[in-house]
Amino acid sequence: MPGRDVHILSAASSLPGSPVGNAALARRFGMDALWEQWVDVFIGTRSRHLALDLESGKVTTSLADLAADAGGKALAAAGAAPGEVDAVVLGTATPDRLMPATVNIVADRLGIDQVRSFQLQSGCSGAVQALDVARQLLLAGEARTVLVLGGDVIARFYDVTRDLRSAAPAELVNYVLFGDAAGAAVVANRPGPGSATVRALFTRLVGLGRAPGAVLEWFGPADRDSDRPAATEDYKAIEQHVPVMTEEVLRELLDGLGWKDGDVDLVLPPQLSGRMTRLITDRLALPEAREISCVDEAGNCGNAIVFLQLERALAELAAGGRAVGVSIESSKWIKAGFALEGDGR
Amino acid sequence: MISVDEFVSLLRDELALPVTAEDLGRALDAVDSWDSVHLLALCTILERETGRTLPFAEVLEAPSLAAVYRLATAS
Repeated sequence: MPGRDVHILSAASSLPGSPVGNAALARRFGMDALWEQWVDVFIGTRSRHLALDLESGKVTTSLADLAADAGGKALAAAGAAPGEVDAVVLGTATPDRLMPATVNIVADRLGIDQVRSFQLQSGCSGAVQALDVARQLLLAGEARTVLVLGGDVIARFYDVTRDLRSAAPAELVNYVLFGDAAGAAVVANRPGPGSATVRALFTRLVGLGRAPGAVLEWFGPADRDSDRPAATEDYKAIEQHVPVMTEEVLRELLDGLGWKDGDVDLVLPPQLSGRMTRLITDRLALPEAREISCVDEAGNCGNAIVFLQLERALAELAAGGRAVGVSIESSKWIKAGFALEGDGR
Repeated sequence: MISVDEFVSLLRDELALPVTAEDLGRALDAVDSWDSVHLLALCTILERETGRTLPFAEVLEAPSLAAVYRLATAS
């Protein structure tokens, strides 16, 4: 019989190399003290991990490397063997290749075979979308244990020969906002030690008629010499819409569950930048909630972010403790959120 | 040292801000399209053009583009 509840048994993360501070980025791109001060004041992200050797500009780590590492750790933490996994789902905006799908490379590395596998082309809310797919498989009784993965490697978008002093504003911010990482969670139809029950989870496309807030291009032989920028952000639209959407998602989750503001013990807000995340958390004004954020040290690492937050949240969530997470995707605008309750140890 | 005209050209050409000399005295909030990323880009360009380091704490307090210009050209 399929269970009525879905449980997150474990979560884990994998970050490449040592943290790269703002000073190191400034040195590499010929920026000065003023630039560093600007990043401190207006971005508020102190460091990020990059799958890139900043000196040579060579990409050092693939998404498959990071996702396999995170997936292995999550399985170990859940006490689940690769053979117990019934499905694998990966969310990413930056697969290593268009084919084969990175999810299948990761499954191979982990010794997982003969199962359903899905890769979602997704932005910042991809982790919640991947969790949603896993949850539906579990609720339908089609799986007992699902490995959910998310991650991004934006290192290939770093042009270390670029003179940032002449970069357009919309391109400039990309060099400080983002970081590379992958994360994983084991989701199952049964609780385990330290797990959390998924009380609510939704993702919703709200992009009708809206211009994209973030664009990542890909190039092939016919257009690889194109001069259009590989990555751009409409940071003004993001600054305007994400705080509002975050509040809407929070309200929808709490109202749907009948939870009061004071019932929330942990809040996992969107991780745009250190400064934006602080503004959003202040706006939510949940009186008892401890904020679970990692953007200050890890940057905005796209599809990995929610897993990094979940890893910390599971460690802190007591039996009956309540956590709410919100994720907003600005590329074509998706609202996503989830609510968890601790199962106890 | 750059002139006011050169400053306006730089705002228009390098930052793509649709401003004229009349806009320099406006409060920064009232300058069309202006935001903190433009502030960074402007300071970076000014440091390149003038060869001088701008005092960022004072730039943050600057109420208008004219005030930023004065900081960049003050002797």
